Amino acid sequence: MPITTTRRRLLAGSAAALALPAFARAQGAAKPRLTAISQWSAGSDGAAITALGKKFEEKGGVWQHSPVPGFTTEMMNKLRAQIIAGDPPACSQLKGPEIAAWSKIAPTVDLDALVAAAGYEKVVAPDLAKLHKPGGKWIALPLQIYSTNMLFLSKRAMDKAKADKIPVTWADFNDLADKMKSGGVAYPVANGGTRPDDGQKFEASLAGISPTAYRSAIMNLDKKALEGPEIKAAFVQVRKIADWMDPNVGAQHFSTNLKRFVDGDMGMMIMGGWAQGVLRNAGFKFEDFVIAPGPSDNSKPVFLLNADAFIFWQRKEPDLQAGQQLMAQLVMDPAIQTMYSQITGSIPVRTDVDLSGEGWSDGQRRTAAALKDAIGSNQALLSFAHNMALENGMTAAMIDVITEYVKNKTIKPEQAATRLADAVESAR
Amino acid sequence: MVRRLPEYLTIWVPLLLSAAHLIAFTLWTIWISFTPSTLVPISGWVGLRNYSAVAASRNWQIALDNLLLFGSAFVLLSLATGLILAILLDQRIRGENVLRSIFLYPLAVSFVVTGTVWSWLLNPGLGIQKLVHDLGWTSFRFDWLIDRDMAIWTIVIAAIWQSSGFAMALFLAGLRSVDADLIKAAQIDGAGPIRMYRRVILPTLWPITVTVIVIQLQFAISTFDLVRALTNGGPGIATQLPALVVYDLMFQRSLLGRGAAAAVLMLLLLLAVLLPYAGWRYVQRRRAIHA
Repeated sequence: MPITTTRRRLLAGSAAALALPAFARAQGAAKPRLTAISQWSAGSDGAAITALGKKFEEKGGVWQHSPVPGFTTEMMNKLRAQIIAGDPPACSQLKGPEIAAWSKIAPTVDLDALVAAAGYEKVVAPDLAKLHKPGGKWIALPLQIYSTNMLFLSKRAMDKAKADKIPVTWADFNDLADKMKSGGVAYPVANGGTRPDDGQKFEASLAGISPTAYRSAIMNLDKKALEGPEIKAAFVQVRKIADWMDPNVGAQHFSTNLKRFVDGDMGMMIMGGWAQGVLRNAGFKFEDFVIAPGPSDNSKPVFLLNADAFIFWQRKEPDLQAGQQLMAQLVMDPAIQTMYSQITGSIPVRTDVDLSGEGWSDGQRRTAAALKDAIGSNQALLSFAHNMALENGMTAAMIDVITEYVKNKTIKPEQAATRLADAVESAR
Repeated sequence: MVRRLPEYLTIWVPLLLSAAHLIAFTLWTIWISFTPSTLVPISGWVGLRNYSAVAASRNWQIALDNLLLFGSAFVLLSLATGLILAILLDQRIRGENVLRSIFLYPLAVSFVVTGTVWSWLLNPGLGIQKLVHDLGWTSFRFDWLIDRDMAIWTIVIAAIWQSSGFAMALFLAGLRSVDADLIKAAQIDGAGPIRMYRRVILPTLWPITVTVIVIQLQFAISTFDLVRALTNGGPGIATQLPALVVYDLMFQRSLLGRGAAAAVLMLLLLLAVLLPYAGWRYVQRRRAIHA
């Protein structure tokens, strides 16, 4: 970072601090400072966390965010190195069961008082809250929610297929894909070639076929459910999806193909809600695509939860402690969650935020409604491909099987199901 | 002694430091491979459990198969390419310096760059296949990158492009150092160019050949950045290599103990190449002294 920027930021920060004497008193003598690491470096994610940093500075804080680009695991490597060196960041991105696992290797901050003061617990989905208080105390705060099984439809591909109905079940989905294919859409399913991408195809299939089987087989790793017929059915659906994908993508990121998707060269995309942010950030319009909940055979929305969160690591420095307090308050603030979600395309964690206003898309409103319905019908599940359901090691062992199945069409669905159960056994 | 102190310091301090690092970290990795470490290193003893888990995993088995194929194909082909290039350059042609630089230049490019460039060139939807299609030959197929049986060959291609120049440079130096009297004698005896190479020149090159083989083999065993940038182990897990598995276990799956076990297995593979070479060098030297 050029020195001038730092100096300007410092000046802006101190000016804000002077303008907010009441706040400065409340935080004691130390000027709040926050060292944070996350994987959000560019695009809509980068823009959102930069905006959050601006708010932090407006409140008189010093914002020191070091992004680690790439997958979450890349960020974890930096976190690991810092923890081993005895110098953890005041706050880092971390999510799902990893919060519990990592909280065992370094002391975390007890956020109970702050959460109680903000009345946050009442407005967070209970399954989600549980992940953030592994020892019974809040040590991490969820910031935004995505569903990983949203269905994105290309308007131009729909026109080519002469279709206007949004598919609800997998049968509808398969019908529409066939229509698109015969209507001249080269690849009815838009995709990338990364591991989580392949994992998402599987989790969306299984959850759409049977949310109950998903809960017991994937979230609870029940041996009997893993050998059940639903797993095989899910692999059959995955093969259909794989046959409609462009095999040429190699190991590319899904975003490489967004233009072809919007142009109607590719038809449907099963992707997390973040794709909205990526599409918008790439300059595409809301008229170019439709967002709907992923296919569900019982017609009630299934929501595969992926929630980004911040975990707070214990630090002795008074300025960092003040920074952690300020950061926690900001993360729980409905206005901040609104700002953040409007940039990234996610929905707020708080269930009491009103999404009817301007700045929200229909897709986000549908996502929020789907989450509400899914919680009601017990179909809000934790995403497996995005490391919300299981720890990394287990997830990776299972995705090995799935990604090989997606790319190798000589593997039969039954074989894949057996291999998946075996992979779980050997990774336990 | 005092006057030569700076010389001793420049040589011995860095040498001891790097040796200490190498040995300390190797020992530490070996220790970790016997512990139940996952997210961070912890003490404890699990015996050979990490080793058996790694050896039984599909990823590791695929990685070993690939290493065998990649290692032998890469070493033999880069040897052949390097030798042919060296012989052609040895014909006292014009512009030799320019050509030599061109052939040697890929070596200066980092493997990540090589991998990325080749991943675009070999991508059937964007690279060579598309180019040929656009030129009008639409039945042309070159989709090894996404063909899980052929994908390992794309790594061979990129690796040869990168390092056959290195083999060429060594061979060329060897060709130039062949005793001129030998060549003259062969000419007087009436040997043609092909016969001359086969019977006179090439046999003198074999010590260089062994060196090239050993250097390329240890490169093949530790290949990481090239395959990570080119296929990242894909399609699926078809192009896994041992170094990728180590990285994956340690830093993607947070299984430090198993990752360390895989790393130690890799070290054993390297020793299997380097120890015989060291032995051979030792015998060579003994023979030279006694001769």
